[in-house]
Amino acid sequence: MHRLWNRIDFAFSSAWQNFWRNAAVSVASVLIVWVVLLALGSLLLVLHSLDQIVAIEKTKASAISVYLADTTPLSSAMDFKLHLEQDPRVTNVAYVSKDQALARFRQLPALDPSVIDTLGTNPLPASLDVTVRDIRDLGAIDQEVRNSPLVDKSPATNYEPNVIDKIILLARVAGIAGLVLIVGLTGLSVFIIMLTIRTAIYLRRKEIEVMKLVGATDWFVRWPFIVEGLIVGVAGAAVAVLIVGFGYRPAVINLQSVLIFVPLAFDPSYLRIVLAAMLGFGLLLGSVGSYLGVRRFLKQ
Amino acid sequence: MRVATVTPAAPQISLDRVQKTYPNGTVALRDVTLQIPKQDFVFLVGPSGAGKSTLVRLLIREEKATAGTISVEGQDLSRLKRRHLPYLRRKIGMVFQDFKLLPNLTVFQNVGFALRVTEGALRHLKPKVEEVLSIVGLEGKENKYPDQLSGGEQQRVAIARALVHDPRIFLADEPTGNLDPATSWEIIQLLLQINARGTTVLMATHNREIVDVMRRRVVAIEGGQIVRDEDAGGYHAPALESH
Ligand SMILES: Nc1ncnc2c1ncn2[C@@H]1O[C@H](COP(=O)(O)OP(=O)(O)O)[C@@H](O)[C@H]1O
Ligand SMILES: [Mg+2]
Repeated sequence: MHRLWNRIDFAFSSAWQNFWRNAAVSVASVLIVWVVLLALGSLLLVLHSLDQIVAIEKTKASAISVYLADTTPLSSAMDFKLHLEQDPRVTNVAYVSKDQALARFRQLPALDPSVIDTLGTNPLPASLDVTVRDIRDLGAIDQEVRNSPLVDKSPATNYEPNVIDKIILLARVAGIAGLVLIVGLTGLSVFIIMLTIRTAIYLRRKEIEVMKLVGATDWFVRWPFIVEGLIVGVAGAAVAVLIVGFGYRPAVINLQSVLIFVPLAFDPSYLRIVLAAMLGFGLLLGSVGSYLGVRRFLKQ
Repeated sequence: MRVATVTPAAPQISLDRVQKTYPNGTVALRDVTLQIPKQDFVFLVGPSGAGKSTLVRLLIREEKATAGTISVEGQDLSRLKRRHLPYLRRKIGMVFQDFKLLPNLTVFQNVGFALRVTEGALRHLKPKVEEVLSIVGLEGKENKYPDQLSGGEQQRVAIARALVHDPRIFLADEPTGNLDPATSWEIIQLLLQINARGTTVLMATHNREIVDVMRRRVVAIEGGQIVRDEDAGGYHAPALESH
């Protein structure tokens, strides 16, 4: 017990001294770790949000809203509804009045209800929400309803044939670009941590000489430097975890108010996984960097 | 050559036809065969560059012999695994001309350092450090830093540090090289005292006066070869070798 405690105490106090003895280099390595983890955390959250959006869009994919001009009388709208219901490709048509549309709109997660109240009039059109049997028929129906004089022109429907493909493509591009960035930054940070550790070893060369002389084991000599690398990793991770942990929710809320029709949601359970992954990756960077730092230089 | 005495069963240190060539091609030891029994006190003398330090470095396996065998405390050093090396070093106390003290640690911490880094239990540290500091006569200087001490005192700290593991062998490479004659004698007295407690002492030196006065075993080395090995010898061979 005492021996173990001595070993831990020695490793941590030397590591702490090392960290501050070459503070400039240590801070540089903390910063680079921080940047890597910030990039990693942000990328994971962005990809997750895109996934969420794709999932929601897919459930919406078999329906379109056909927006009706405000001038359309209710009876004409009901005729139009009946006409659509007789179409064999259509399974269901629902009428959504201007008021219902407004009520739905108010339920969008990020919206400040007072924004609508300040408008005075209701800007939202009534619509017929058409559900089809086969998603592939949506395009044809979209074309047909656009010709009807009852239909609003700006926009006529919410039909967006490629939205899912576009999002999936976006996710793929973001994923690959993010991955390349993170791999590059990871290499750089491991290299900088390695340099930090070598600087620390250089500054301690006299002590290391004495340690070996009086019979310290190789691992006893190495531990302080490994711990120093871990301190760098944890310090960089801590800052990044705080920023991502506290920044995710406000970021989602801000985006929701800009991208009102995008189903973006805050996911606290996924956030916890991301934060744990960031911390783990920080520790990994620190230990790999310091291991590479001590590996060659402590061989005599 | 060495005057015959009753040889103990197994010498504590034994070199058999040892050669050492450094990577740059310098041949430091040519063909050294030497045996040192327990509790011996040996002076290793010879001109600068003769190979004294090399021999000492081989004994703590800071260097490996190029050929021949070295055994210390019954262990064949060429076969000693790297991970067992620290335990060999704990059996050997070692001091140098330049003391190798850590300037940012006090006397107490410098000596305690040897215990801390070899995972000695910390509660034994204080009594042990106090014990070895009293052996070398440095009670009361525990909290001084090396630069507040004289050269002789610094060497005593180094000796105290070398004693914390109760070594069976004590190696000193020119320990008086930086000290004035009076201080050198004090250090020699200390080494004799350590030897009297049962520790084998090997001291590399070219301090002729000390060697001549002491009349202990002298191993003379020149150009990497042992040229003389005498009990109760002097620094130089007698000028006239009469029969
Ligand atoms: N690390 C080394 N690399 C190459 N040559 C060395 C090294 N150490 C010592 N030598 C050479 O080996 C010879 C013996 O040196 P050394 O053992 O230091 O002698 P001494 O201690 O008797 O003065 C010298 O010629 C010296 O230059
Ligand atoms: Mg020498």
